[in-house]
Amino acid sequence: MSEFIIASLLIAFVTAASFALEPLTGYLSIALLYLLLVVALGLRMRRPTVLTVAAISALLWNFVFIPPRLTFYIDKVEDGMMFATFFVVAMAMGHLTTRLRRIELAERQRERRTAALYELAHQAAFASDLDTGLRAAVALIDSIFGAPAALHLRAKDHSLSSAPHAASTLALSPAEFREAAVVFGGPAVAEESKALSNVIHVVLQGRTARMGVLSIRPLPGRLFESVERELLEAFAVLIGLTLEKDHVVEALKRAEILETSDRLSRALLDSVSHELKTPLAAVQAGVDGLERQIGGDKPTATLAEMRAATRRLRRVIDNLLDMTRIEAGVIELKLDWSDVGDLVTEAISLAGDALATHDVKVEGAEGLPMVKLDQPLIEQALSNFLLNAAAWSGAGTKIVVRAWVREGRLSLSVLDEGPGLQNGDLRRVFDKFYRAPGARTGGTGLGLSIVEGFVRAHGGSVRAANRSTGGGEFTLDIPVETMRAELGEFA
Amino acid sequence: MSDKATALIVDDEAQIRRLARVVLEADGYRVLESESGEQGLADVALRRPDVVLLDLGLPKLDGVAVLKRLREWSRVPVLVLSVRDRPEDKVAALDAGADDYIQKPFESAELLARLRAVQRRVASDKDEPYFRASHLGIDFMAHTVTVKGKEVKLTATEYALLKILAQHAGKVVTHKQLLREVWGPNAEEQSQYLRVYMTYLRKKIEAPGAKEKLLRTESGIGYRLVLPAKE
Repeated sequence: MSEFIIASLLIAFVTAASFALEPLTGYLSIALLYLLLVVALGLRMRRPTVLTVAAISALLWNFVFIPPRLTFYIDKVEDGMMFATFFVVAMAMGHLTTRLRRIELAERQRERRTAALYELAHQAAFASDLDTGLRAAVALIDSIFGAPAALHLRAKDHSLSSAPHAASTLALSPAEFREAAVVFGGPAVAEESKALSNVIHVVLQGRTARMGVLSIRPLPGRLFESVERELLEAFAVLIGLTLEKDHVVEALKRAEILETSDRLSRALLDSVSHELKTPLAAVQAGVDGLERQIGGDKPTATLAEMRAATRRLRRVIDNLLDMTRIEAGVIELKLDWSDVGDLVTEAISLAGDALATHDVKVEGAEGLPMVKLDQPLIEQALSNFLLNAAAWSGAGTKIVVRAWVREGRLSLSVLDEGPGLQNGDLRRVFDKFYRAPGARTGGTGLGLSIVEGFVRAHGGSVRAANRSTGGGEFTLDIPVETMRAELGEFA
Repeated sequence: MSDKATALIVDDEAQIRRLARVVLEADGYRVLESESGEQGLADVALRRPDVVLLDLGLPKLDGVAVLKRLREWSRVPVLVLSVRDRPEDKVAALDAGADDYIQKPFESAELLARLRAVQRRVASDKDEPYFRASHLGIDFMAHTVTVKGKEVKLTATEYALLKILAQHAGKVVTHKQLLREVWGPNAEEQSQYLRVYMTYLRKKIEAPGAKEKLLRTESGIGYRLVLPAKE
């Protein structure tokens, strides 16, 4: 509005000046004064004003100066031509100069925007830590938009955290926060937020995820032009990317720390294993040497005892190391195709002499499809079941190994003819160091826990039960990929 | 085997070296000792042992690194000694050129049997036309296999598998090696075929009801055709 008043005053001034000059220059030159005014205004004022001024100038010139004066009537043909030319030239000048101005303005705005984005990128991305970067970003927004801003970041559960980030200069009301949360969970394309409040919410969009919401409250009566809105969105993307980058860097660091601690516990285990087994190897070789020196094919009772003790010690050390490995979580499954029949045979041979006095029967292991699992681990698990069965049932009794594959699960059962378990023990037998009442001396109470650990590593489960005919039944059950290999396919 | 065979023990534990020396000397070996990987390499070059016992857990230059260097210029049979019981450690040593492995603590008889087996490689590489192990007989020229004197029919794949295992009799042959040699270099991941054919091969050549199997599974590593303790 004020533009029009200034324009009117200027027209009045030019008209008054024209009155003074007209006697000296004649009425035709007055047109030039009016044109000068139109051009001058065109450089400063908006187009509607300028065009109006151009039209009014034409009419005024006609009315006041072209004879006959104080009429719109034009007497001479050349005056008519002059008037028409003046009108067209004034309009054209108004149009051209305002366009020039608009281009210049846009240019200046673009420059400011680029500078602001650069500033933000610089401050946010190169800040020593995230908080400093965000603080700088909020300060920049404040200086450009003249409005306080609030940052709500993504929480661990990927929802929007209700506590604003420490860099925020604006506290949202609960209703405003709800709006922000809606924008955060809303459609991917940022819409003009149809907020009831006058707060503008923009999603901080990273490359793959939304990292939070930027909310700013413009000063009362200040409207955001679309260019400013675009700038704000560009800011949001930049902040989102910075947050995402920071998030990824953090995750990488954590993974690295985990890997280091994994490697460390592995190295420690290797070293402990070395320290325990080297002397044992020496003892073993010593026993062998003694036996040879004493000579003869019949080892003495003492030697046999030493041999048995060495074997037992070795088993205890192996068990302790396995348990430690399970607890340290450093078991890495090496899944490969495996023949169940072969696996059972190897488990039996792994149990070795402990089964010498038992009658071991295998049921169902032939003709099964191939299964994908870590054979050394499952072999050892089954072997521990067998050792347990052998320890609890008398010489000459039968031990049955049963294998079946059903609905993508491999089950292996070991059934013995021992005393079975008390009901309270059915679950506890798998506990670490738990030994059922009446257990023979010499066990560590680790064998079955190791089975559980290895089976768990496969995502499977173990259970103990009593057979209806007496005796115990131990079963492990793991999900497996299966395959019926066709002979000849690859011969 | 010549009584003058020389064995080099590479182990940083003096105790293990001493005990291995006792066991080996009792069996007629001449014994050399090295206490580090670097010295071991130098000793192989200068003193030309017939067989090497190599500990995997050496300080500084570890066993696998020693093997890799050694295999650049020497084909001396190497038996790896290890306390590590993860199959992947053994496979790594075998891939690096070890002929076989034995785990600490070991029984002396087993150690001596393995040592004999790794030295046997040299013998069977000389195109011996016949192979015998307990009830199994193979005629490499005629491509025939007999079990307890009776000929059994093997498919081409089964025969190829058995031949490789027999040529490395007494030693472990890794899954990878078997797959590569029988099915070709692109089949190293196709372990399921190996499992199937081993199952069929066993059905044909294992003596039914025998307690000791001829073809042993080394879980997570490979297979071994076991030679009888005394031939």
